[in-house]
Amino acid sequence: MSGRAAAAGEGAAEIAARSRWQEALIGWSFAAPFVVLFAIFMAGPVLASLVMAFTDLRISDIRNPLSVDFVGLDNFVQLFGDAKFWTTVINTLYFVVIGIPLTMIAGLAAAVGLNQQIVKFRAVFRVGYYLPVVTSIVAIAVVWRLLLSDESGLINGLLGMLGIHGPDWLNDPVLAMPSLIVMAAWRNLGFQMVIFLAGLQTIPQDLYEAANLDGAGRWAQFRGITLPLLRPTLLFSAVITSIGYLQFFEEPFVMTKGGPLDHTLSVSYYIFNQFGFGNYAYAASMSYVLFVAIVGLTLIQFRLLGRED
Amino acid sequence: MNVIRRLAVVMAILALVLVACGRSNEGGGASGAASLGPAVSSGPVSGDLTVWAMGTEGEKLGLLAKDFMAENPDVRVKVTAVPWDAAHDKITTAIAGNTTPDVSLIGTTWMGEFAKTGALDATPANLDPKSFFEGAFNTSVVNGTSYGVPWYVETRLIYYRTDLAAKAGFTEAPKSWADLMKMAEGMKSKAGAQWGISLQAGGTGSWQTFLPFAWQQGATVIDDQGKFTLDSPEMTKALEYYTSFFKGKLSPTALEPNALEQGFVAGKIGAFVSGPWHIGILKDPKVGGDKITGKWGLMHMPMEKKATSFVGGGDLVVFKDSKNRAAAWKFVEYLSKPEVQVKWFKTVNDLPAVKAAWDDASLKGDENVAKFGDQLNDAQSPPTIATWEQVAAAIDSEVEKATKGTESPADAVKAMQQQATSIGTGS
Amino acid sequence: MTSVAPIRDRPAVATDQRGKAGRGERSAWWIYLPLIIGLLILIGPFIWMLLGSFKTTAELRQLPPTWIPEHPTLDNFRRLFERLNFPRYFFNSAVVAAAVTAGNLVFCSMLGYALAKLRFPGKRVLFLLVLGMLMVPGMVTFVPLFVLIANLHLANTHAGLILPFLAGPFGVFLMRQFIAGLPDELLDAARVDGAGEYYIFARIILPLTKPALATLGILTFLASWNNFLWPLVVAQTEDMYTLPVALALVSRGQNQTDFGLLLAGAVIVILPVLIVFLVLQRFFTQGIAMTGFK
Repeated sequence: MSGRAAAAGEGAAEIAARSRWQEALIGWSFAAPFVVLFAIFMAGPVLASLVMAFTDLRISDIRNPLSVDFVGLDNFVQLFGDAKFWTTVINTLYFVVIGIPLTMIAGLAAAVGLNQQIVKFRAVFRVGYYLPVVTSIVAIAVVWRLLLSDESGLINGLLGMLGIHGPDWLNDPVLAMPSLIVMAAWRNLGFQMVIFLAGLQTIPQDLYEAANLDGAGRWAQFRGITLPLLRPTLLFSAVITSIGYLQFFEEPFVMTKGGPLDHTLSVSYYIFNQFGFGNYAYAASMSYVLFVAIVGLTLIQFRLLGRED
Repeated sequence: MNVIRRLAVVMAILALVLVACGRSNEGGGASGAASLGPAVSSGPVSGDLTVWAMGTEGEKLGLLAKDFMAENPDVRVKVTAVPWDAAHDKITTAIAGNTTPDVSLIGTTWMGEFAKTGALDATPANLDPKSFFEGAFNTSVVNGTSYGVPWYVETRLIYYRTDLAAKAGFTEAPKSWADLMKMAEGMKSKAGAQWGISLQAGGTGSWQTFLPFAWQQGATVIDDQGKFTLDSPEMTKALEYYTSFFKGKLSPTALEPNALEQGFVAGKIGAFVSGPWHIGILKDPKVGGDKITGKWGLMHMPMEKKATSFVGGGDLVVFKDSKNRAAAWKFVEYLSKPEVQVKWFKTVNDLPAVKAAWDDASLKGDENVAKFGDQLNDAQSPPTIATWEQVAAAIDSEVEKATKGTESPADAVKAMQQQATSIGTGS
Repeated sequence: MTSVAPIRDRPAVATDQRGKAGRGERSAWWIYLPLIIGLLILIGPFIWMLLGSFKTTAELRQLPPTWIPEHPTLDNFRRLFERLNFPRYFFNSAVVAAAVTAGNLVFCSMLGYALAKLRFPGKRVLFLLVLGMLMVPGMVTFVPLFVLIANLHLANTHAGLILPFLAGPFGVFLMRQFIAGLPDELLDAARVDGAGEYYIFARIILPLTKPALATLGILTFLASWNNFLWPLVVAQTEDMYTLPVALALVSRGQNQTDFGLLLAGAVIVILPVLIVFLVLQRFFTQGIAMTGFK
């Protein structure tokens, strides 16, 4: 980004004349309100929690948090020897690797479809596609159980008509996770759609016009214009989805409670449990391992989708 | 990379601060009769009281508070209702931020951890431990000291279809483990039930259904020295008995929400273990009502070496930071009066924790409720250790492995013991 | 400003032509079919929730669940309004959500602009910090944050509910990505004309990022409106509760959930969110091409 801005700056004489401190003043004046709030309400608590990861703080200590012992890397050592933690890591990776592309493709398809000028009642479709995002998770859980139920489920009813005896989706150790992945993609598609719809607006329409005149088909236009110009939005969407999906929690919480036999227990769910047990230091150390994983995945995405900045 | 360097400096400073503090080690608590704190003044009280209570209790407690204020005109009680779902987080953060109320309702299994924070006030000698059910009062005793009193209780009985039981050859409730098993088998083979009994196969809280069987066999969770005893032969026997219901396909390994009540009413499920709230559900005409009137009953837990059940409910605690301790405890004392407990039962159906309240006709006269009162005399609570919720979760997950047959009962109890030992008691 | 105008005008005309072009009409059906199927799959649970709010609790407990209410009733809504001090909770929720949304729109777009288009020392570090903050799992900062709020004597105040969310890293990242996508030529032209950065931000950037601002507004409002744990913990007395907290209070009885109240509450809670979405979604069609400032 700095290269671009610099290049742009050199193009205009006025800007080149500006002194460095003037630029700094202007830049920081835009940043100031956020930075102040950020320093007080985010940086402080995050630092505190980071320190917490290197102590043995438990719920019993919360009245005197300064009286805890500093235990170095003990929590991390314990964590890497915790078999259940590794189960949750594998479950989470499974969810992320399948879930992110599935959700992004579905969201992008919905956005591109609804962005067609020819489609009428677009507002209706948009609201409809967005509804899962705002619908109460409890209602969603009830209806998805209705779909996936063993005996009375709609899906098994349909399979039954084809003469197939459907499985007990949510209680089957192999099928529980794929069921939740589909459910998560369904739930988050609307969120993706909203972001992609906004992103599509930044693409100048005349590019499509020019392509039309050149006789390019819809698919060629999508690949040649939409995808490349949507890159900042794609990057944003991929990063946000990764952050959300690596912290995968609500679906197993309402559908399977992490079962059957821990097959849908995610890292975040495990952190949530440890937090509930009052093992704050252990939960914090796990959170920062998750944090490092998120940072790693984000870096990969910046490499793949970001510009040369 | 500048950021990282700067962060490292800040971290180092913070680390130094922490090392300088350090925790002083405390000795383990002695067991025996619960000790109480010094009595608070029993004279007239005044001032403001804030009280937190969860769910329905929180919504309706205002009624009792009004009576209390009529008796103590100088006190103003303010009740805040808190949703159950996040009550634990709310109380925890309140302790951390020094924003605790004067009095709060607390789930019985949370007592260990909250007492350990040092935020709870010891029960003053004004209150008589003997007036409460023993199992219920024990939920308030942590390391030998009582930190509150039980307010209401619940215990578990076996609900069963008397008509199906008769077809299975039981005109009277089975009283032993062997008979309970026989009844479940008979309900399935002779009375057309799909499941003889529904026991919780796993998942959160399944320990509440499983542990009573362990206690009946004479097993314990922890000994007097604070060492876990989950891998005892008795525990293995209990889990073998428990899993045999699943092996014999007498109990389902998974039930959808609401399927229990419907299955029971339809005669597909012959029996289940639950607390007093199911009386109301089964009597609801939309669920059971006339469809099963006279066709179901409650049975005491079966006798093996004992016939013990689980006791839970809610305790009332006063926080140490309360600026009005005398009034706070006086309010707790008021809520523990037998007549107030009876009134509370009539208001929200909470079973009284005070024994004398059970002499009232409204409780004694109701056959089903009286059965719960009977079981309360032989009901136990889990140990009040600070790590109980975590140990319980470990038990839950091993019970699930055993009932689903991925692990033998003997291996499951070994795993329980191993996990519990590594979790520790938090003291 | 003249140098900017052609960029805006040209595509607007083109869009019009495209909308009327015969090319789309012919192939419309194949685009509607998947869209409608998708719509049905996506709105199912919402419809169930809406219908469910008119059912009795007993019917909601039935297996298998029903779709159409057998005995439609307004009882759930009546009980809800009876048991809740509705105006108070609605007021709290609205004040908090409005303030949080406004704060994020202003502060995040300001920083987003600076990060995307300005040059100043510390910019890269700042962006990394914002990104990093986005990735910290929220649960761990919860207790320290509450201790902070309590020590600032903000517990049980609207400020305590609002301040920690007034400017979030999500919004900064979103706005930075969108503003980065705007052509630099636009800004340079304005700078050549002698416009200051504040003028450029207010008169060029903000109008051009309406779709992104609408997105941020929708998402922030939703998140704030649905926030449960924080308002529950910060509110010490019931008069500071927000709607979701109050609803959680009544919908869960001693040992079972009152599904009727739960669904009626869920329907009431999402109405304002849907209204915000409906109002703001029209900006999705006002792309760069049609956005003008006169």
